[in-house]
Amino acid sequence: MEPGQREEEEEEEEEDQQQLTLIQNLKATLHYTVGSMCQEAADAQGVRFTKPAIAAISEVTFQQCEHFAKDLEMFARHAKRSTVNMEDVKLLARRSGSLLNYITEKSEEISRVNQEQKDKKKKKAEGGNKKSSKQAVTEMDIDD
Amino acid sequence: LNNYCKVFSFYAKTPMEKSASETLMKCLNQYFRTLCDDLETFAHHAGRKTVLLADLELLMRRQGLVTDDISLYVLVERYLPLEYRRLLIPCAASGNAVFPAG
Repeated sequence: MEPGQREEEEEEEEEDQQQLTLIQNLKATLHYTVGSMCQEAADAQGVRFTKPAIAAISEVTFQQCEHFAKDLEMFARHAKRSTVNMEDVKLLARRSGSLLNYITEKSEEISRVNQEQKDKKKKKAEGGNKKSSKQAVTEMDIDD
Repeated sequence: LNNYCKVFSFYAKTPMEKSASETLMKCLNQYFRTLCDDLETFAHHAGRKTVLLADLELLMRRQGLVTDDISLYVLVERYLPLEYRRLLIPCAASGNAVFPAG
Protein backbone atom coordinates (compact mmCIF):
# COMPACT_ATOMS: atom_id res chain seq x y z
CA MET A 1 0.00 0.00 0.00
CA GLU A 2 1.41 3.39 -1.02
CA PRO A 3 1.02 6.45 1.18
CA GLY A 4 -0.86 8.28 -1.59
CA GLN A 5 -3.54 5.59 -1.68
CA ARG A 6 -3.95 5.66 2.07
CA GLU A 7 -4.45 9.41 2.03
CA GLU A 8 -7.10 9.05 -0.68
CA GLU A 9 -8.95 6.44 1.34
CA GLU A 10 -8.88 8.62 4.43
CA GLU A 11 -10.26 11.53 2.40
CA GLU A 12 -13.05 9.32 1.09
CA GLU A 13 -13.90 8.21 4.60
CA GLU A 14 -14.03 11.82 5.73
CA GLU A 15 -16.33 12.68 2.84
CA ASP A 16 -18.63 9.79 3.69
CA GLN A 17 -18.70 10.93 7.29
CA GLN A 18 -19.60 14.45 6.21
CA GLN A 19 -22.37 13.14 3.96
CA LEU A 20 -23.76 11.07 6.80
CA THR A 21 -23.73 14.04 9.17
CA LEU A 22 -25.48 16.16 6.55
CA ILE A 23 -28.19 13.56 6.01
CA GLN A 24 -28.68 13.15 9.73
CA ASN A 25 -28.99 16.92 10.16
CA LEU A 26 -31.58 17.07 7.40
CA LYS A 27 -33.52 14.18 8.89
CA ALA A 28 -33.45 15.75 12.33
CA THR A 29 -34.76 19.05 10.96
CA LEU A 30 -37.46 17.24 9.02
CA HIS A 31 -38.40 15.21 12.07
CA TYR A 32 -38.77 18.35 14.14
CA THR A 33 -40.98 20.01 11.50
CA VAL A 34 -43.13 16.90 11.12
CA GLY A 35 -43.47 16.77 14.89
CA SER A 36 -44.71 20.36 15.04
CA MET A 37 -47.16 19.78 12.19
CA CYS A 38 -48.45 16.60 13.81
CA GLN A 39 -48.90 18.52 17.04
CA GLU A 40 -50.98 21.12 15.22
CA ALA A 41 -53.08 18.42 13.57
CA ALA A 42 -53.49 16.68 16.89
CA ASP A 43 -54.71 19.87 18.55
CA ALA A 44 -57.15 20.48 15.70
CA GLN A 45 -58.55 16.94 15.46
CA GLY A 46 -58.37 15.90 19.09
CA VAL A 47 -56.26 12.80 18.38
CA ARG A 48 -52.78 11.86 19.55
CA PHE A 49 -49.74 10.71 17.57
CA THR A 50 -47.38 8.14 19.04
CA LYS A 51 -43.68 8.85 18.66
CA PRO A 52 -43.05 5.94 16.25
CA ALA A 53 -45.86 7.23 14.04
CA ILE A 54 -44.23 10.65 13.79
CA ALA A 55 -40.86 9.03 13.09
CA ALA A 56 -42.43 6.91 10.35
CA ILE A 57 -44.09 9.96 8.78
CA SER A 58 -40.81 11.88 8.72
CA GLU A 59 -38.97 8.89 7.22
CA VAL A 60 -41.60 8.55 4.48
CA THR A 61 -41.35 12.29 3.83
CA PHE A 62 -37.60 11.99 3.44
CA GLN A 63 -37.92 9.18 0.90
CA GLN A 64 -40.63 11.09 -0.94
CA CYS A 65 -38.39 14.15 -1.15
CA GLU A 66 -35.75 12.05 -2.88
CA HIS A 67 -38.36 10.88 -5.37
CA PHE A 68 -39.64 14.42 -5.96
CA ALA A 69 -36.14 15.75 -6.47
CA LYS A 70 -35.36 13.15 -9.13
CA ASP A 71 -38.64 13.76 -10.92
CA LEU A 72 -38.24 17.53 -10.90
CA GLU A 73 -34.73 17.20 -12.27
CA MET A 74 -36.06 14.96 -15.04
CA PHE A 75 -38.83 17.40 -15.94
CA ALA A 76 -36.45 20.34 -16.05
CA ARG A 77 -33.98 18.45 -18.21
CA HIS A 78 -36.84 17.37 -20.46
CA ALA A 79 -37.62 21.01 -21.16
CA LYS A 80 -33.88 21.55 -21.81
CA ARG A 81 -33.46 23.62 -18.66
CA SER A 82 -31.10 23.13 -15.76
CA THR A 83 -33.28 25.22 -13.42
CA VAL A 84 -36.41 23.77 -11.84
CA ASN A 85 -39.29 26.22 -12.10
CA MET A 86 -42.99 26.40 -11.23
CA GLU A 87 -44.10 24.49 -14.33
CA ASP A 88 -42.10 21.43 -13.28
CA VAL A 89 -43.68 21.48 -9.85
CA LYS A 90 -47.14 21.71 -11.41
CA LEU A 91 -46.31 18.77 -13.65
CA LEU A 92 -45.29 16.79 -10.59
CA ALA A 93 -48.64 17.41 -8.94
CA ARG A 94 -50.66 16.79 -12.10
CA ARG A 95 -51.84 13.34 -11.07
CA SER A 96 -54.16 14.46 -8.29
CA GLY A 97 -56.68 17.16 -9.12
CA SER A 98 -57.10 18.71 -5.68
CA LEU A 99 -53.36 18.94 -5.10
CA LEU A 100 -52.91 20.52 -8.53
CA ASN A 101 -55.57 23.11 -7.78
CA TYR A 102 -53.94 23.90 -4.44
CA ILE A 103 -50.48 24.26 -5.96
CA THR A 104 -51.81 26.39 -8.81
CA GLU A 105 -53.45 28.72 -6.30
CA LYS A 106 -50.24 28.94 -4.31
CA SER A 107 -48.16 29.63 -7.41
CA GLU A 108 -50.53 32.40 -8.46
CA GLU A 109 -50.23 33.88 -4.98
CA ILE A 110 -46.43 33.72 -5.14
CA SER A 111 -46.33 35.28 -8.60
CA ARG A 112 -48.63 38.05 -7.40
CA VAL A 113 -46.36 38.78 -4.44
CA ASN A 114 -43.34 38.77 -6.75
CA GLN A 115 -45.12 41.16 -9.10
CA GLU A 116 -45.90 43.50 -6.22
CA GLN A 117 -42.28 43.42 -5.09
CA LYS A 118 -41.16 44.15 -8.63
CA ASP A 119 -43.58 47.06 -8.84
CA LYS A 120 -42.26 48.42 -5.55
CA LYS A 121 -38.71 48.09 -6.79
CA LYS A 122 -39.69 49.80 -10.01
CA LYS A 123 -41.30 52.64 -8.08
CA LYS A 124 -38.20 53.01 -5.94
CA ALA A 125 -36.05 52.88 -9.01
CA GLU A 126 -38.27 55.46 -10.68
CA GLY A 127 -38.04 57.66 -7.58
CA GLY A 128 -34.26 57.40 -7.62
CA ASN A 129 -33.87 57.55 -11.37
CA LYS A 130 -36.30 60.32 -12.19
CA LYS A 131 -33.49 62.54 -13.32
CA SER A 132 -31.90 59.85 -15.41
CA SER A 133 -35.24 58.86 -16.95
CA LYS A 134 -35.89 62.51 -17.79
CA GLN A 135 -32.49 62.69 -19.36
CA ALA A 136 -33.26 59.54 -21.31
CA VAL A 137 -36.54 61.03 -22.50
CA THR A 138 -34.82 64.20 -23.65
CA GLU A 139 -32.16 62.13 -25.39
CA MET A 140 -34.88 60.15 -27.14
CA ASP A 141 -36.51 63.39 -28.25
CA ILE A 142 -33.20 64.45 -29.68
CA ASP A 143 -32.92 61.11 -31.46
CA ASP A 144 -36.36 61.57 -32.97
CA LEU B 1 -59.07 -7.04 -28.36
CA ASN B 2 -58.52 -10.75 -28.79
CA ASN B 3 -54.81 -10.05 -29.09
CA TYR B 4 -54.81 -8.12 -25.81
CA CYS B 5 -56.64 -10.96 -24.10
CA LYS B 6 -54.02 -13.41 -25.33
CA VAL B 7 -51.21 -11.21 -24.06
CA PHE B 8 -52.95 -10.75 -20.75
CA SER B 9 -53.53 -14.44 -20.15
CA PHE B 10 -49.96 -15.19 -21.25
CA TYR B 11 -48.54 -12.92 -18.55
CA ALA B 12 -51.10 -13.97 -15.95
CA LYS B 13 -50.39 -17.64 -16.80
CA THR B 14 -54.09 -18.41 -16.31
CA PRO B 15 -57.01 -18.56 -18.73
CA MET B 16 -59.47 -15.66 -18.77
CA GLU B 17 -63.23 -15.45 -18.45
CA LYS B 18 -65.42 -13.48 -20.86
CA SER B 19 -66.46 -10.95 -18.20
CA ALA B 20 -62.83 -10.30 -17.31
CA SER B 21 -62.07 -9.37 -20.91
CA GLU B 22 -64.80 -6.70 -20.82
CA THR B 23 -63.27 -5.20 -17.70
CA LEU B 24 -59.85 -5.37 -19.34
CA MET B 25 -61.29 -3.44 -22.28
CA LYS B 26 -62.48 -0.67 -19.97
CA CYS B 27 -59.12 -0.56 -18.20
CA LEU B 28 -57.26 -0.36 -21.51
CA ASN B 29 -59.50 2.47 -22.66
CA GLN B 30 -58.74 4.42 -19.50
CA TYR B 31 -55.04 3.57 -19.75
CA PHE B 32 -54.66 4.86 -23.30
CA ARG B 33 -56.62 7.98 -22.47
CA THR B 34 -54.30 8.89 -19.59
CA LEU B 35 -51.27 7.87 -21.65
CA CYS B 36 -52.18 10.22 -24.48
CA ASP B 37 -52.95 12.99 -22.03
CA ASP B 38 -49.59 12.54 -20.32
CA LEU B 39 -47.62 12.40 -23.56
CA GLU B 40 -49.32 15.57 -24.75
CA THR B 41 -48.47 17.31 -21.50
CA PHE B 42 -44.82 16.25 -21.63
CA ALA B 43 -44.42 17.35 -25.22
CA HIS B 44 -46.07 20.66 -24.41
CA HIS B 45 -43.77 21.03 -21.40
CA ALA B 46 -40.73 20.77 -23.62
CA GLY B 47 -42.29 23.39 -25.92
CA ARG B 48 -43.05 20.95 -28.72
CA LYS B 49 -46.24 19.94 -30.45
CA THR B 50 -44.82 16.59 -31.53
CA VAL B 51 -44.53 13.62 -29.22
CA LEU B 52 -41.00 12.20 -29.39
CA LEU B 53 -39.35 9.12 -27.97
CA ALA B 54 -37.99 11.26 -25.12
CA ASP B 55 -41.52 11.95 -23.93
CA LEU B 56 -42.33 8.25 -23.88
CA GLU B 57 -39.15 7.49 -22.00
CA LEU B 58 -39.96 10.16 -19.42
CA LEU B 59 -43.44 8.71 -19.02
CA MET B 60 -42.09 5.20 -18.48
CA ARG B 61 -39.58 6.57 -16.02
CA ARG B 62 -42.42 8.19 -14.11
CA GLN B 63 -44.27 4.88 -14.11
CA GLY B 64 -41.20 3.17 -12.70
CA LEU B 65 -40.71 0.91 -15.71
CA VAL B 66 -37.51 2.61 -16.81
CA THR B 67 -35.05 3.06 -13.97
CA ASP B 68 -31.35 3.83 -13.70
CA ASP B 69 -30.39 0.17 -14.04
CA ILE B 70 -33.10 -0.79 -16.58
CA SER B 71 -32.94 1.47 -19.62
CA LEU B 72 -35.60 1.76 -22.33
CA TYR B 73 -33.47 -0.27 -24.71
CA VAL B 74 -33.34 -3.16 -22.25
CA LEU B 75 -37.14 -3.18 -22.10
CA VAL B 76 -37.35 -3.07 -25.90
CA GLU B 77 -34.93 -6.00 -26.13
CA ARG B 78 -36.94 -7.92 -23.59
CA TYR B 79 -40.50 -7.45 -24.78
CA LEU B 80 -40.61 -6.52 -28.45
CA PRO B 81 -40.27 -8.86 -31.42
CA LEU B 82 -37.25 -8.62 -33.67
CA GLU B 83 -38.71 -6.45 -36.45
CA TYR B 84 -39.75 -3.73 -33.99
CA ARG B 85 -36.46 -4.01 -32.15
CA ARG B 86 -34.61 -3.32 -35.36
CA LEU B 87 -36.61 -0.13 -35.83
CA LEU B 88 -35.96 1.15 -32.32
CA ILE B 89 -32.48 0.13 -31.31
CA PRO B 90 -29.61 1.80 -33.13
CA CYS B 91 -27.16 -0.65 -34.62
CA ALA B 92 -24.20 -0.24 -36.93
CA ALA B 93 -25.27 -0.99 -40.48
CA SER B 94 -23.06 -1.49 -43.51
CA GLY B 95 -21.29 1.56 -44.98
CA ASN B 96 -20.26 2.70 -41.48
CA ALA B 97 -23.70 4.19 -40.82
CA VAL B 98 -25.74 3.86 -37.66
CA PHE B 99 -29.42 3.05 -38.14
CA PRO B 100 -31.68 4.63 -36.90
CA ALA B 101 -29.90 7.95 -36.76
CA GLY B 102 -31.40 8.78 -33.36
